[in-house]
Amino acid sequence: METIKNYLEAMFANMPRTADVEKAKAELLQMMEDKYNELMDEGKTENEAVGTVISEFGNLDELAEALGLEKEVKQEHEESEANPRRALNLEEIRDYLQYSSVRALCIALGVALCIISVTGPILLSGIHLEGVGVLIMFLLIAGGVLLFVFSGITSNKWSYITKGGCFLDYAGSNYTMEEKTRFRRSFASRLTLGIILCAICWLPLVLAEAMSSLAGLGELFMITVLFGMVACGVFLIIHSAMIMGSINDLLKINDGKTMSSKYTEAEVPHYKDAKAEGVMSIYWPTVRSIYLIWSFLTFQWWKTWIIWPIAAIAYSIIKSLFRSDYPGSSANNNNQI
Amino acid sequence: MAEINAGISSDVIRGYNDTMILYILKQEPSYGYEISKRIRSISEDKYIIKETTLYSAFSRMEKNGYIESYEAAGDGSGKKRTYYRISEAGLNYYREKCNEWELTKDVVQRFIDGSSYLIMKGDKNGND
Repeated sequence: METIKNYLEAMFANMPRTADVEKAKAELLQMMEDKYNELMDEGKTENEAVGTVISEFGNLDELAEALGLEKEVKQEHEESEANPRRALNLEEIRDYLQYSSVRALCIALGVALCIISVTGPILLSGIHLEGVGVLIMFLLIAGGVLLFVFSGITSNKWSYITKGGCFLDYAGSNYTMEEKTRFRRSFASRLTLGIILCAICWLPLVLAEAMSSLAGLGELFMITVLFGMVACGVFLIIHSAMIMGSINDLLKINDGKTMSSKYTEAEVPHYKDAKAEGVMSIYWPTVRSIYLIWSFLTFQWWKTWIIWPIAAIAYSIIKSLFRSDYPGSSANNNNQI
Repeated sequence: MAEINAGISSDVIRGYNDTMILYILKQEPSYGYEISKRIRSISEDKYIIKETTLYSAFSRMEKNGYIESYEAAGDGSGKKRTYYRISEAGLNYYREKCNEWELTKDVVQRFIDGSSYLIMKGDKNGND
């Protein structure tokens, strides 16, 4: 039955998203399901049943005529001939997500190296080896830059995915959404841990100072710990946010006007226009930046967290204002497969 | 007649899909797959209507007011399905189509090799 659903979804993927089309799809699925069930009851094998159902399905041109969609279907034919959009296969999606996680690792590690590089001179100044400290700092920064460069080298190979040449079919959408669900939990904990590390980075230094009068090496060591914690925190934040970002980018490649946008809309809302889409896509990165900048400038972490609940409330308000409603999308929810 | 089994041209039969569906709905309201099954059994497996053809016909006839659709739980299974029933306008349309077919059959038959038309005509002449 899954094959039949996939087949039907593929047929409808590029049809305009209207109430009529949704109804037609639901009805056709019902008929196919009835036929499939009966064939299975008659003792046919899965393959035979699927083969019969699909061979007796018909074609969409006829349906388009009845639904008054000849223009759209013709346009779609012409468009797909002039500018073929193809469905990504599962292997490609897997490879892309794997590449994304390597890239996220490189960039997060690069940033962490740059942050931690300052500890070289700080720590080694305690034993009067400033020169070596600066050398270590430059080596670490060079390592970071190398990682940035490395992450950029392979990115061209994948740019076609997000540049509009491809779309996610039903199976691909499901696969990607499963990946997202799998990642979501570790995303939340990594992000939280990252923010906590940044938020309490000053704690060891202050505690150590309170317990004993720190002097010389001890203090320098605690400052190094501070930067180490910030570096770890930033690493966790960037790494997890970038992976999540590329999963979301992938889920957004389906055209919002066609039926295929329905597969992923639960995960990625489609907005009214490109401008709204742009605003929403930089919303969380902006909030995160404001939070980190404000926090690091003032070091008043016990105050700055307030930005998150406020941002969350603002987000849901803005989202509901910008979100586009499709005709019939709510009425036909119960018909979804 | 068995030759038709080798493949019925959808172009030819297209004009009469509505007639077949209305004939079935005239007896009792029904739903998509049930109708397609009945068309198949009445035609003794000689005509299998495609799903898209069937739905296109539903959609067109509903727009024209020949049939009405409603949601109902099927026989025993408890599954909600879209049922169709014929309307007054649909009944009139069905009768029109029947007359049209009689006429079509009569005309086309005159051009079919080895048909029984000449005999029929002979009978008619004889009666006159």
